[in-house]
Parts: sequence; structure tokens; C-alpha cells
Amino acid sequence: MRMPRLAGDGVWRWLSGACVALSLLAVVALLALVVTRGLAHFWPDDIEQLTLDNGERIAGIARDSEAGERRYFTANRDLDGQVWQWIETQAIETRETPPDLLYAERRDWGPFIGRLTAVDTSAGERLQGDEAERHLRQALAGNAEITTLHLRNVEGRAAEVAFAQVASLSWPNRMDVGDKLAAWGHGVWRFLSEAPSDGNTAGGVWPAIFGTLLMVMLMSLVVTPFGVLAALYLNEVARQGPLTRLVRIAVRNLAGVPSIVYGVFGLGVFVYGLGGRLDSWFFAERLPSPTFGTGGLLWASLTLALLTLPVVIVATEEGLARVPVALREGSLALGATRFETLRRVVVPMALPSMLTGVILAVARAAGEVVPLMLVGVAKLAPEIPVDGEFPYLHLDSKFMHLGYHLFDLGFASRDAEAAMPLVFATATLLVVVIVVLNLTAIILRHHLRARHRALEHS
Amino acid sequence: MTDPSTDPPRPNRRLRQRLDRLATGVIAASGIGVVVAVLAIGVYLTLAVLPLFDGAEVEVDTAPSAADDGTMHAVWLADDGTRWLTREGQLRDAEGEIATLAAGATITTVAEAGQAQPLALGLSNGEVRLVPRDDQGRLRWTQAATLRLFEARSVAALTLRHAAQGWVLAGRDTQGEVAALWHTAETTRRIAVPETAEHIALGYAGRLAMTQGTQLTLWQLSPDGGGGTSLARTETRAPITALSFLQGGRTLIVGDANGGLHRWRLSPDDTGWQAAETSYTALGDAAIRRLIALPRQRLWLALDDSGRLGLYQSLSGQRWHGQAPEATPPTAVSVNAQGTQVMWLGATGTPQRLAIEAAHAAVSPATLWMPQTYEGHSDAEWRWAAAVTGDEEPQYSLVPLAWGTLKAAAWAMVFAVPLALGAAVHSACYMSRRQRARLKPAIELMEALPGVVIGFVAGLFVAPFVERHLAGTLALFVCVPLGSVACGWLWRMFSRRMELRLPPISAGVGLIVPLALLCWAALSLSPWLEAWWFGGDLRAWMHQQWGWDYAQRNALIVGMAMGLAIIPTLYSLAEEALSGVPRPLAEGSLALGATRAQTLWRVQLPAAAPGILSAVMIGAGRAVGETMIVLMVTGNTPLMSPSLFEGLRSLAANLAIELPEAAVGGTQYRLLLLGALLLFVFTFVVNTLAEMVRWRLKRRYRRYGGDA
Repeated sequence: MRMPRLAGDGVWRWLSGACVALSLLAVVALLALVVTRGLAHFWPDDIEQLTLDNGERIAGIARDSEAGERRYFTANRDLDGQVWQWIETQAIETRETPPDLLYAERRDWGPFIGRLTAVDTSAGERLQGDEAERHLRQALAGNAEITTLHLRNVEGRAAEVAFAQVASLSWPNRMDVGDKLAAWGHGVWRFLSEAPSDGNTAGGVWPAIFGTLLMVMLMSLVVTPFGVLAALYLNEVARQGPLTRLVRIAVRNLAGVPSIVYGVFGLGVFVYGLGGRLDSWFFAERLPSPTFGTGGLLWASLTLALLTLPVVIVATEEGLARVPVALREGSLALGATRFETLRRVVVPMALPSMLTGVILAVARAAGEVVPLMLVGVAKLAPEIPVDGEFPYLHLDSKFMHLGYHLFDLGFASRDAEAAMPLVFATATLLVVVIVVLNLTAIILRHHLRARHRALEHS
Repeated sequence: MTDPSTDPPRPNRRLRQRLDRLATGVIAASGIGVVVAVLAIGVYLTLAVLPLFDGAEVEVDTAPSAADDGTMHAVWLADDGTRWLTREGQLRDAEGEIATLAAGATITTVAEAGQAQPLALGLSNGEVRLVPRDDQGRLRWTQAATLRLFEARSVAALTLRHAAQGWVLAGRDTQGEVAALWHTAETTRRIAVPETAEHIALGYAGRLAMTQGTQLTLWQLSPDGGGGTSLARTETRAPITALSFLQGGRTLIVGDANGGLHRWRLSPDDTGWQAAETSYTALGDAAIRRLIALPRQRLWLALDDSGRLGLYQSLSGQRWHGQAPEATPPTAVSVNAQGTQVMWLGATGTPQRLAIEAAHAAVSPATLWMPQTYEGHSDAEWRWAAAVTGDEEPQYSLVPLAWGTLKAAAWAMVFAVPLALGAAVHSACYMSRRQRARLKPAIELMEALPGVVIGFVAGLFVAPFVERHLAGTLALFVCVPLGSVACGWLWRMFSRRMELRLPPISAGVGLIVPLALLCWAALSLSPWLEAWWFGGDLRAWMHQQWGWDYAQRNALIVGMAMGLAIIPTLYSLAEEALSGVPRPLAEGSLALGATRAQTLWRVQLPAAAPGILSAVMIGAGRAVGETMIVLMVTGNTPLMSPSLFEGLRSLAANLAIELPEAAVGGTQYRLLLLGALLLFVFTFVVNTLAEMVRWRLKRRYRRYGGDA
């Protein structure tokens, strides 16, 4: 519908256009911020060595600058008691990137920036200088054994680190782009595959990824059949009248009920109600320490299943409504029972929309944190809830969740500032997972509509 | 395709029928089950909240007497009734006498102060015997110490309360002379108070309330042994007949000869009383004889001369009234540590047990919704502080939480409604179908962004940024609308001047880059703006000019963050309503010569108004229940401030913070559940209304021949 351009229109057109632009801008800016910061975290930046006008020497990685000051990540929490330093740019006399500065990630005390003085080999030898470095490189590659590293910071203060404490070690100033890219990939891989360390401010998020996936899988096992059956009931079995309309409104409303209310329900009914009952029946010998009477994987999955039920029902109903009535009537006219019609004709046609619903439910559940805070998420649970011990899948155990991990890192950790890069990395991961899931659902639905349109026109 | 000539094996007809019925049954059962599960949320919350509003009850029954002849005459009895102390100082149990505590004198009065403090016995020779307790609170009768309070006259009344590193004991002799003992880790000092009194009661840190007729005096004892100082002297309306400080020692209950019951609170600046006394519902007009403070929830019992007994709570007032077990005042009363059972021994010698059922006595509609003068505050205020330790007074007002919820939601709406409606208008009225189809997935993705991500970016990145660039941020609200109109004007001028027919680019997409540049320019120019107009620091300037404080995590940030979170919901619903407006309406208006703006304002918007209203309602429901963003962005301070630059705490965030720590079944737990119920009911009602509006609108469009 093209309409004529008329004077006086402009203001509203551009003002409303600004609304679209601003909304998109906000989202793009948000995503760009999260993703660039999150991915930049793994990039081995050059380490600068600064000499200040008062003679002090500082080594660190330049981060952000503001009003004549620049902030450096100086690491070495054990030596300096802090990891960040604001430095006036005017006070800096020299800035250089000496190739022998190394960056070591330790399992305690966070990263170390400084130089290598010596290494102790497992044979009890102490190697110095170039030989020490050569030996260290071999040890990092797994070809030699080292017990202790002797390091010093740029001011010359010494620190000893047991080799087993070193999570990674590199000389960023010597790396070329290819090396850095490789190191970046390695960093991303470690982030995805390792457990958190150093009070959650370092290491990876593997238990959180696994916990999220497992919880979401259990949830979809529950929500899919019930959501689909409820939609079938509403759309195919129940008589269409004011009552079904009421139920439909109620189901739609449930999507608008705050997620914290589901959390409260889960805590009161599943955890304290059902869980407490189960404990007193089957696990009485362990009381008063609760088995199922406390938050856990099972209750979290059930709570989220309830939360995402409306999503599945609404999507499935939409799909069912699009199946042409003529097909149903044809099937019934050929002598099929209602069940057979549903099974052979209606459900197969609505299958993609059910899938869309489940994917949307999974995406919603993956990002939902609030109810989990009440029904079983843990700050730190490095053991994943699946192991070789009977019953293999521990439904009663607490688990980690990406979204909660993000909240915990940013708002409850000892040093939120130092954990920030990791928070951004975790947020990136979460956003990527959710965007991918949603895009899948959107594309699926798009194809679906196209297919139905073709069907209706034929 | 199967070949029709070869018959497939025919399934059994009966089996097929049965299978059909079974499947239908299963589907119906799970469908109904889901609906029931949904209803269960509301039912569960209601059931869990109801006990809050149960009335309090005091049940009296006769306790089996431990004495062999069935009667006990005692000045003290244990809270389980198994031991008692006679006037003559004999400690007895069912077996017989255990010890003698007052050789050569009789016990005239007894004072107790909880399970951590000693038991004080006042003797007829002016001495006080103190029975210490061990770590479990058991009395060590053999280690009783004797201290002298008065020279010769008998001790007529005693009151005891813990103070820093020890306790304070005050007594009155038969002539009304008052003296006190202040015990610290090192010494015990006697303090002679230069006053006479009929009734005395000790509050916290050596505050002593004394009465003489209608005069009420608040005295400050000092641990160094001086006489102390008078803090306040007040005349009351009727002669005072009973006196007791409540748990915590900051609230005094006064009973008078006309049956009046009044509350006096120590002022927060420690100089006397809070401005005004508060009166409670009276039991009758007989004089109040006895006031018994219970150790939990600031509950107390009042007994009057005609034998009426009442249970009161400091803030919520009278919770129960009825008949006392005996009309005469009890000779011995003891309360258990939980404050749920009172042993009552009167003149008849039969111990009575009073079971007090008042688990949530501190909650009443008035304490939830009306301002209250809490201990330590001088004015009536709405306050929430449910998680308290020790003897602090819990503050159970839901108003600050409701205020925080509505404030956050309102600011979010202020940001989201114009933006989302503007975007909806633009895409429904000014965008081609193709452009719209591209915008929609982008907005859907936006809707899928988890709250925790938005909250963390807003709380940890935007909040500190805005704190540093406040002037720039505020300038954006002016620059962006002006800038976009200016862009439009420039665009038109440019395309006309250059005699170009520029491609019909959508304003929505075309503005992204100029707006980004504009934002960047506004933010980088803001330091100069701030230096020029506001003396370099807008926050300091605001504080100076208007007394506004600035909290880093505040309503402005939560408005922006939550606004972003609800824009997609609002946009989708409003866009649906606008694009559903039947085309003939708009086309007719344009054909009659109206401009597009006129058509938009006079035809399309009014036609879609109910749909837009329902979009706004659903958006508001979202904003009210959103938890993660509020939790991460507001600082969670339960303030009642209208300021845009101060923090708040919402009902939902409060649940997330306090529920995991709350004791199951306690008052705090149930109040939190009440908060959840309020959220549930609010969103359910709002969404239902919105859904009904939408449904009616759709029907109307269909009548006008629209395609929605």
C-alpha cells in the first residue's frame, strides 16, 4: 500500500522512525558490547612495561582510559593486593613491550605478570636464564617435568609458583598474530571445557554448560508430552465453547505470570512439599539433612517445565489450527477413527510447529534464572550430576547454570571487577546459545508458514 | 501409495475403537491435568498465605499439679511446672524439698529476664538472691549469690534486664525507695535512685521507667554508680497501675486505673519518649493489674481487676481477649522460651496452662499497609525489614515493596511505551511489507534476550557509565528526538536540492547510523556541557540545588534496562493492533483529503486504541513481575523515595533475595508468599483484561472487514 507523500507528515514519520532505530540500536549495541568484550577476553594482549616519572615500574595490560588516566590490569594479587591500577598518562615516561614478560594464569591468586628467573626440575636441579625458559617450554608441551617456577615482577619482587598451579603460561609480547589466534582458540576451548577455579573468578564454565543442558533436556522431556497433549485437548478433543476460551485465556495468561512466582510454587510444592514427603518415606535415615527436600535438578526441571508449558501449548495450538479442516474431514470420511486421524494426519502436519514450541521453550528455560535461585541452582558444583555411580543420573543434586553463574560472577563474587571479562565471556556464550535457538525457531516457523500457505492455495 | 487391490491386513475394529477411546481419554486427562496444575499455583499461594490472617488464641487448661496434695503455693514455678519455690524459700518438686534459698527471710518478689539471665529473688530482709544459669539456660540453684539492695526494708518489686556485658536489676522497697544493681564482667555496683515509685520497669541499657500516681518518669541509670539522670517526666490521664517493657526494652506498656492500655516508645535520639503515646483497645474499665511481656514477637498479656485477660501485640494491637483462669492476680507466672506457653499459678494453688497460638500476631492489615512508628524511628513510616536478628523489631510493611515495584514498572513504561508505540506506528504505517517482515525477527530476538544479560550489562556497565556521564545521558533524551526530525528535514532538503530521487529508504533503518553518531557526540560533548552549566559535576549540583542524592543503581537505569526488555512485547502487540485496522478506513480517510499524519492520529490510532491499551497493560504486567533486571540494577534498598536517582526494591526482587533464607512457615516466609500472590493476582487480572480487550477488538475489526 503506497500512499502519496504529503506535507506535514515528516515529523511523525521521522520521530517514529527514530523509535525503530533507537530500539534496534540499543539491541545491536548491547549484543556488540557483550560479544566483543566476551571474545576479547581470550585474546592475549601485549603486556606493557611502564616507567613512571617517580621511578616506579609497572607492568600490565592497558584496558580503558578516561580523562587523562588509563587503567591497567596489573595482575599479581598476591604481591600487590590489587589487580587494577589507574595511571595518569602524563606520569608515564616510557612505554615498552619487552619480549620476556610472561603472563601466567594460576589456579589460586589469579594471573601473574612478570619474568621468569629460574625453574626447579623434578630431578631437584635449579635451572636459570635461557635454559630455564627452554625447559619450561618443554614442560608446557608435556616433554619435561618441573616442580616449581621462580618468578619476579617488574619491580624485582619474587614469587614462587608450583608448576601444578599454573593453568596456562605465555609470553604475549613475542607472539605474532597466528600464535595469538591459536592462543585465543585454546583459551576459548579451556573456557568451554574446564571447571571454574579461584572462587569462580577464573577457569571455565563446563559444569554450568552441562548443568544448563541437562536441566533443559529433563525439562523438555516433561514439557513436550504435556504441552502437546494439552494443546491437542484444547484444539481437537474439547468442545469449543466459552469454557475452552476461558482455559485458553488462562494458558496465555500463564505466560505473563512472573517467573519468580513459578519459583515460589516450585519451592513450596516441589521442594518442601513433594521433596519433604519423599525424604520422610524413602530417605528417612539421612534426615535431617535433606535429599529431595532441598533444591535440585529434578525440581528445577519440573518448575521450568511448568513455566514453559504455555509456550509449547500456544505454539502447538497455532500449528494445529493451521491444519486445514478438509484434511481432517477427509481422513474421518475414509473411516479412520479420531485417534488415527490425529496420529496419521494432524500431528505429522503440526509436528514442525510443536518443534518450534519446544525450541522456544528451551530457549526460554536456558535464559531463565530467577526460579532456579529458589529451586536448586548452586554457586559452585564442580561435579556434574552424571557419574558412574548408581543411579548414574543424580536428580537430587544441585547443579550450575550459565545464567546464574553470570549473576553470581557479576554480583556476588569477591572481585567483580576482576571477574568482569569472564562475566562478558559467559554472557556471550549464553546469548549465542539463545540466539541460535531462537533463530532456529524463527526459521522453522517461517518455512512452516510458507508450506501451509502453499497447502492452502493448492 | 498402497495398491487398493491387495487388501492390507484389517485391524480389529473393536481394538481400533478402544484405542481411540483410550487416546481421547489420555489426551483429555492430560489437558485437564495441565489446566489443574495451572490453577494449583493460585490455590497453593492462597493456602500458604491464609494462616497469616488467622486470629490469635489463648487456650487455658489445668496443668497436672506436681505437688502431692494437688495444691501449690509458690512465688515462682518452672515453665514446665515441675519445680516451684515457696514463699519460705523452699525449692520443691514432686519428690519433696530440694534446697532452701532464703534462710531467715521470706521471698517477697521474683524477677526473670529470659533464658540467659539469672533469676532474681527479692527477700523480706532487703537482700536479693541471684540464681545463675548455665549455658543451656538451666538454673544453678546451689550457686545462688546474695546481694544487698536495701538496708532493712523488704524488697517489694524487682525488675531485671540484660545490659552490656551483664545485667541491671532495679528494686523498690515497701516505702517506695528505688535502688538498682548494675552488674558488669568486673563489678556489681549499687545505685541509689533519688526517687520514689509505685511501679518500676527496666528497659534496654539502664533505662528505668518509674511511676508515682499519674506521673511517669524515665530515668537513666549509669553503670559507674552515680544516681543517674532523669530523661523525661510526663503526666498521664489516670493513675498508673501496671508497667512492663516489651522484648528488646524499647517499648513500654502502661496500664492505668481506668483500664486504659498505652504504648510509650523510647525516642531514637535517647532523650525521652517518642512524641505521642498510643492507646490500645481496652479490656474493660477495671484497673489493669498485671502486664506480662512474652519473649517473642513483642506480644504481651494484660490482666485487669475483673479477671479479663487480653493478648496484645505491640503494633497490631489486641489479638485476643477472654477470661483469665482466675480472677485474682497470679502469685507466680512463668513463660517458656518460645513464648507459646504460660504457666499460671493463682491463689487456689492449681497451676493453669495458657497455650498461646499467635504465630503471625505481628501481621494485620494495618501493619502491612499503614505507616507505623517503629522502634528507633521518630515518625510513622512504611518500612520493610523482615529478616532481623536478636531483639530487633521486624518491620512488615509491604508498601515500600509495592512502591518499588510500581516505581520501577512506571519508569520502564515511560521509556518503553513511546519507543515501542513509535516503532509499531512506523512499521505498521510507514514500512513496506518486506521491511516489516525483516524487522519482526529482529524484535523477536530482542524479546528472547534473557533478563540476566540485560541486567548485568545495565548494572555493571551502563550504571557506572551513566554515573560518570549523567549530563550526557539526560541530554540524549532531548537530542535524539530533535536530531531525528532534523535528519528527516535534511534528507528531504538534500534529495530536493540535488534533484535526486533517492531510494525510498525507511526512516527506521536510515536513522540508525546518524543516531549512533548523535549519541556519541552528545556523550562526548557532555563534559563540556556539565562544566559550563553545572559547575563540572551535575550530581553535586543537583544535591546542592534540590537535595537530590544519586545512587549508582537507580530508577533511571532500571527504567532504561527494563524498558528495553518490555519493548518487544509492547511492539508486537501494538503492531498487531495497528496493522489489523481495516484498510478501507485509512484509505477512505486519505481519499477524503486527510494527510497521512491526520489519518494516523484521527483514524488509525483511535481504531487501534483498545489493542494498544491491551499492549500497554500486558507490558505493565511484564514490568511488574520482571525480577532479574530489578535485582541486578536497583541496589535493592526498600526506600519510599520518588526520586529517579535513588534505588528501590521490588516485590519480585525481594522474593529472590529473602525467600531462600526465610524459615519455612514463619511470618517472613508467609509474607513473602503473600508478595508472590499479589504478583500472581495482579498479572493474572491485568492479562485477562487485556486478553478480553484484544478479543473484542478482533471481533470488531472482522465486522469492518479487516483481515486480522
